[in-house]
Amino acid sequence: MKRVGVFICHCGTNIAASVDCAQVAENLKGYPNVVFSTDYKYMCSEPGQEMIKETIKREKLDRVVVASCSPRMHEPTFRRCIADAGLNPYLLEMANIREQCSWVHPHDMERATAKATDLVKMAVAKVSHDAPLAKSFSPVTKRALVVGGGIAGIQTAIDIANNGYQVDILEKQPSIGGKMAQIDKTFPTLDCSACILTPKMVEASSHPNINLITYAELEKVEGYVGNFDVTIRRKARSVDLNKCTGCGTCWGKCPTKVDSEFELGMTKRKAIFTPFPQAIPNKPVIDREHCLKFKTGKCGLCQKICPTGAIDYTQEDELVTTRYGAIVMATGYELFDHSVYGEYGYGKYPDVITGLHFERLINASGPTMGKIKRPSDHTEPKNVVFIKCVGSRDETKGKAYCSRTCCMYTAKQATLVREKIKDSNVYVFYMDVRTPGKGYEEFYNRTTETYGAHYIRGRVSKITQDGDKLRVRGEDTLLGRPVEIEADMVVLATAMVANADAAKIAQLVGFSYDKDDFYTESHPKLAPVETHTAGVFLAGACQGPKDIPDSVAQAGAAAVKVCALLSKDMLETEPITSEVDTKTCAGCGHCVDVCPYHAISLTTIEERLLGQTITRSVANVNTSLCQGCGACTVTCRSSSINLRHFTNEQILAEVDALCQTIQNK
Amino acid sequence: MSDHTEQIKTAENGFEPKILVFACNWCTYAGADLAGLSRLEYPPNVRVLRVPCSCRVNPQFVIRAFQRGIDGVLVAGCHPGDCHYTTGNYYTRRRFLLTKRLLDFVGIDSERFHVRWISGAEGPKFQEVVTDITAAIKAIGPNQKLCDYFPTETLLPNEGGDNQ
Amino acid sequence: MNQEAIQTKMRQRAKELLNSGAVTMVLGWEAGTFWYQSTPILIRQAEDADKLVWNDFCQNNLSKYLLDFRFTNEKIALFLKGCDSRAFNRLLQDKQIEREKTYIIGIPCEGMKDHRLAQSKNEGDDLPLAKICQSCRYPNPVIYDELLTEEVTPRQKIVDFSDVEAIEQMSADERYEFWQKEHTKCIRCYACRNVCPACNCRKCIFDQATSGWNSKDVNASENQFYAMTRAIHIAGRCIECGQCEYVCPANIPIMLMNKKLIKDIDLLFGDYDAGLSIEGQPPLGHFEKDDPEEFM
Repeated sequence: MKRVGVFICHCGTNIAASVDCAQVAENLKGYPNVVFSTDYKYMCSEPGQEMIKETIKREKLDRVVVASCSPRMHEPTFRRCIADAGLNPYLLEMANIREQCSWVHPHDMERATAKATDLVKMAVAKVSHDAPLAKSFSPVTKRALVVGGGIAGIQTAIDIANNGYQVDILEKQPSIGGKMAQIDKTFPTLDCSACILTPKMVEASSHPNINLITYAELEKVEGYVGNFDVTIRRKARSVDLNKCTGCGTCWGKCPTKVDSEFELGMTKRKAIFTPFPQAIPNKPVIDREHCLKFKTGKCGLCQKICPTGAIDYTQEDELVTTRYGAIVMATGYELFDHSVYGEYGYGKYPDVITGLHFERLINASGPTMGKIKRPSDHTEPKNVVFIKCVGSRDETKGKAYCSRTCCMYTAKQATLVREKIKDSNVYVFYMDVRTPGKGYEEFYNRTTETYGAHYIRGRVSKITQDGDKLRVRGEDTLLGRPVEIEADMVVLATAMVANADAAKIAQLVGFSYDKDDFYTESHPKLAPVETHTAGVFLAGACQGPKDIPDSVAQAGAAAVKVCALLSKDMLETEPITSEVDTKTCAGCGHCVDVCPYHAISLTTIEERLLGQTITRSVANVNTSLCQGCGACTVTCRSSSINLRHFTNEQILAEVDALCQTIQNK
Repeated sequence: MSDHTEQIKTAENGFEPKILVFACNWCTYAGADLAGLSRLEYPPNVRVLRVPCSCRVNPQFVIRAFQRGIDGVLVAGCHPGDCHYTTGNYYTRRRFLLTKRLLDFVGIDSERFHVRWISGAEGPKFQEVVTDITAAIKAIGPNQKLCDYFPTETLLPNEGGDNQ
Repeated sequence: MNQEAIQTKMRQRAKELLNSGAVTMVLGWEAGTFWYQSTPILIRQAEDADKLVWNDFCQNNLSKYLLDFRFTNEKIALFLKGCDSRAFNRLLQDKQIEREKTYIIGIPCEGMKDHRLAQSKNEGDDLPLAKICQSCRYPNPVIYDELLTEEVTPRQKIVDFSDVEAIEQMSADERYEFWQKEHTKCIRCYACRNVCPACNCRKCIFDQATSGWNSKDVNASENQFYAMTRAIHIAGRCIECGQCEYVCPANIPIMLMNKKLIKDIDLLFGDYDAGLSIEGQPPLGHFEKDDPEEFM
């Protein structure tokens, strides 16, 4: 027998005007488990709460039902109230007789009163099955890991570090910087990308709270929010970072030339190299695939000439495990492989290039020292054609989505061609021009009006080589007629796509990704930088195509979330989580598959069976990750997994209490 | 609104159905609260049972309610894509697409069981849905299918049940 | 290959496997009390292999019996028909058995005979195939270590839902009457559950007295709760072996409800045959964002 106290609130006349509160209180007297029932004008007022507390003590109540407004309004108030009187706060139920009764049934007091009675009886039935619950706590490791050292990752790390927390940046390339380091100028201001990025890179490398881990990859992630144990593979660099001063003697003398990845193959680098002059750390790695020492065992020149003895051919990959409280994914994007557009002749015609090639061609430290020259004969192109949406917004050959940045960078590149080559003609084939950003539309208008770029609405159907010219055929859909342009160079605005290993990394860390392998935010509107996995956040284009301002903004947002997490000494977890009855759990794992938070896993238990020790598999809920949705409970046929505070027994008791009033009629 | 008031007033054939609404905490329960805040009247036949997510609703709860004599059941949650727990209502949809057809197959009138997406901003939709369902069930009369008297062993609160 | 030849080969393989020590147990069928009945047998000795039979009445789905050996480390050989092999996959998918601990001898199956009709006939009389076997689409084992004979031709290509459609065409009241009549017969012996390879809980909710899900009362309401709940539990997991109907002492058309769910799953979520492979999730274990919304 439980001792339930029932308190019916009038809410002034908000409830009392259409529900006979005294009658409801009267109806509950003698109801199973109810030992006290009363009504009062304002239950949430100071005297109202005092009355509840006194009654709990006087009547030795062990649980309480308050019938008043919505629990969404005052549940915390009354939980505190009964806790003050010494009861566990989860031994409270509320019957919503205002929003869901008196306010919606103002003209039928008899039936509104009957409904209120039902609602209170349901609450009594549930509270009779309520169990005391306690919040649990787990410690937080005050260190964050940012995966990816592009602009999003750098900014996230700086913001976290400036808040006083330790943060590691993990970058798979030998240098941080990412795609932004390859870009020449940024829209809509046309300031130089390197000029705004390099100081950030330097800040990240010199910040006392930031530790760079370059030329390294994620190997394994275990644990959960507050305590992730992350194993990182530091690839053998063959250069001792502590000894190397970055003097450059080695790559000056190295005899092996390899296509430069950073310059997209338009120049050569050495087998011992830094990816670009402003690289951070500005210390080389040996590309073992091409290095003569590794290929043939001969050479060893760099080791001989290194003034500090930093070259170490015997270095091996190193696995390091570190504990982090939070992880930010800032792994960026790749460019769409547009070779599927055979009609554009990429690879076949040297003067058909991508937007990123163009960035390098126009960059003062690029392969042409900033002079726009055609790859084929190094002459200055006069007629330049840009083609947008190469891979974007094309479900048949590419991706269904819009890559968001191409309209603006194409406008920027068109502007730069017109600026640098005064007698040039620029043609842009487009489907739509999308300029949703501050100053973006104005920039586009300048491109067409001030700089005179010709925008042609339509797709290009074919590019053919004609002597040293490219013949671009397409359709102007606004004028409804075919167009043909004799071009010297064609620039393709290729789509932004997820990294090839994006899905693999998401699986490794344990969060979800969409059909295009972009990382899925926890809520598209309200939790855009969180993932479903508590403690794992997103910044930048790994979540979806983004330009630099958006990536930086998201980086700041992710950093704030991380800091909020790391600012806590202990993580408090709501006790309304799932629990497993291992006696009946068969370990089928169906609950594991439906959990959106990866909170359930299978674990092995040992038990005695007929005099023998056997092991079997059962589900196990990580209460730090469980958010209490209850999806698992319905999946479990044997009801071995139940949701605390919304148990099968509690819900059935409510259903029965409601239906009993039908039976009693 | 006046339509609904009209319907409430003309409902005078004597039979007042009792309808159970399973409402998810984040959308439909908030939508029902909003109906209250906006003083949108609807028939007092519905009783809301709050669950964290519509995916917490076991089809067995629904069968149980019919067994115990409920006249109608509505399961309501966030619109697809809006689930507080992201994917909960997608499971709700699969489970109840099948349950609805199974209930139909064993002869439960299709008017007696419904699933709806009602967001926290859709107070008027809550009003409209419960008003329509009430009227439809009123028209077909009390539910007698699947139901039985209370068996001897029940979960009535006075018998406690174990509370661990 | 005729039945007798298969039986001979069956006994021979059992002997070889036991003698070689490749397995320590063999699950098969032996002759039952009546000529129209064969029952499962577990043999450990090679000399017992001659008890094994293969005839028109080897209905029992042997996969389910593996659950009794969940905690032994011995290796078991067992004979599986097409339907039994789907059950095997089902149990693998539910992580209830281990593939490495079993050796599967597949038997492409010509179908079992109608054992109910047989009860009113004499041995040797002509008998039709059991109803479930008439509509069999997977007579050949889908997972095995060896096959005893050549594969046979499936008797059906698509599921025959005509019995389900006949019920669907009734009015709601007629449907209710139909099921009410059937479920009143149920004595809640749980034989259907006990043989079902999709029913593999450690402790069924209907055996949990304090769970509150239902009472022990045997009445139409509780029986219907049981029938519908079981149908939902095995939705997307039923492998159409028909064992539930085979063992039902009250002759309730249990497969009708299971087939209704199979039909709806095919219609709503795309064709799905449980137990064909262990890849992927059963239909209620995942979702598509664009699942139909016929009544929301």
